[in-house]
Amino acid sequence: MNRRHFLGQSAAVAGLAFGLNGQASASSLKSAQIVVVGAGYGGATAAKYLRMMSNNTAQVTLIEPNPQFISCPLSNLVVGGSRKIGELTVPYAGLEKNHGVKMIKDMVASIDRQKKTVQLASGQTVKYDKLVLSPGIGLMMDRIEGLEAANKAGVTLQAWRAGPETTALHQQIAEMRDGGVYALSIPLAPYRCPPGPYERVCQVANYLKKNKPKSKVLVFDANQDVTSKGKLFKEAWAKLYPGIIQYMPEHNVTAIDAKTRTIKFEVQEDVKADVLNILPPMRAGDLIVKAGLADANARWSNVNFLNFEAVAAKDIHIIGDSIQVAPAMPKSGHMANQHAKVTAAAIIAELSGFAINPQPVLTNTCYSFVNETDVVHVASVHQYVTAEKTFKTVPGSGGLSPAPTALEGTYAWGWAKNIWADSLV
Amino acid sequence: MRKTLSTTALILSGLLGVLGGPAQAQDVQAQRLYNQALAATCANCHGTNGVSVPDVTIPRINQLSESVMYERMMEYKSGKRMGTIMPQLAKGYTEEQLKIVASVLGKKN
Repeated sequence: MNRRHFLGQSAAVAGLAFGLNGQASASSLKSAQIVVVGAGYGGATAAKYLRMMSNNTAQVTLIEPNPQFISCPLSNLVVGGSRKIGELTVPYAGLEKNHGVKMIKDMVASIDRQKKTVQLASGQTVKYDKLVLSPGIGLMMDRIEGLEAANKAGVTLQAWRAGPETTALHQQIAEMRDGGVYALSIPLAPYRCPPGPYERVCQVANYLKKNKPKSKVLVFDANQDVTSKGKLFKEAWAKLYPGIIQYMPEHNVTAIDAKTRTIKFEVQEDVKADVLNILPPMRAGDLIVKAGLADANARWSNVNFLNFEAVAAKDIHIIGDSIQVAPAMPKSGHMANQHAKVTAAAIIAELSGFAINPQPVLTNTCYSFVNETDVVHVASVHQYVTAEKTFKTVPGSGGLSPAPTALEGTYAWGWAKNIWADSLV
Repeated sequence: MRKTLSTTALILSGLLGVLGGPAQAQDVQAQRLYNQALAATCANCHGTNGVSVPDVTIPRINQLSESVMYERMMEYKSGKRMGTIMPQLAKGYTEEQLKIVASVLGKKN
């Protein structure tokens, strides 16, 4: 009896013993092709933990177009000019060298759910038994009239995926005249990184206070109020940047006029600005939408929270920002890393013929810098609630910092270095 | 088939150091996987398998014994021990889960 045959049989036996449907025998752990798409906080972690949790027996391929990982968390410090993008950049080599993940530098163009293959932009076809999609967010540019054209003309920027746009946004702010206006618009939640826009406001105001003190930061928020750490951010704005920041809730951007650098709103009067950082509404990554997997409001993907398998497609698991979230679950890098671990364990379990873990747990920790050094956090613990088939935060747990501290600033960097290593090294 | 079953059981129990049928052995393997997944919720801040990268101020946990780690987390949970994030996070785990975390990440006594 060869090894594969033996494993298949033992999986089938376990399936019977656990009263499962014996799916595991069809593709056992060792022979299954597991393909992960997207090497951000979610996908990279999934690939690493699929290898680790299978004692390096699972065959894992990770497909990612970028040559290296650039962290979105902390990238507001680059926007504000106190840090360089290189400090947030991690190579992918560790996943191959330390964990035996097979990496393909390419984009996934489409998914054939019948044949169980993904087609790459280069033309290559990759077969999968299990597919993990972690493509991050998609930007709904067409929700704001003229935004696509304004982006092309270099008038507007998002910088909501860390990389060249992050440094370009800092460049625009650095080149702005003293007395100029930086405008940031925030879409209705849910969007990637709830406290991110408000942290960016701090970082830009910090830069302007030191370098161009006559300038203003205008914040147009489509939401009714600051969506995360509201009291802490407002206190920081008043104390650290008096007279610089003007926060305007319930301001929904509908159009951009690139020629006159004008922002138009649903209700309020037009506003002109020098730097236009316009964040449109967000949805699941384009690949998910194209594959017909965005089954929640045509924006996000519904998943089974025990294994993050798409409700719409068997053997396709979706993690990170693209999912329809559980109550109080933020779209964050930390959370994507946690999704990945639950998913990796569930896939290993299924392919091994184990009963699924009935009680997965997730945490979230998010640090925001109010200047170069001082930080506030929000933390939460999410337990699976069987009766409701979703994750819920535990009453009495989680919470916020009482105030910004430099100690938590050092923790933020410690968090970053450890989560980068946990996801990529 | 009978022979296959007993071979399977033998190999799996040999691997795990557990005597019992294949179902029990699988059970132990599955539990170990889920314990590993639970402990991995800590890795974002404290490092993979509780081993931190060098030169960070987040307290290192991999030198704590299993029993001390469990005690500390229970103190965070009860409010006896102060901190920034851990008092908030520990309250979200059950006592049993904290025991499992300590058993995976703590140094054995």
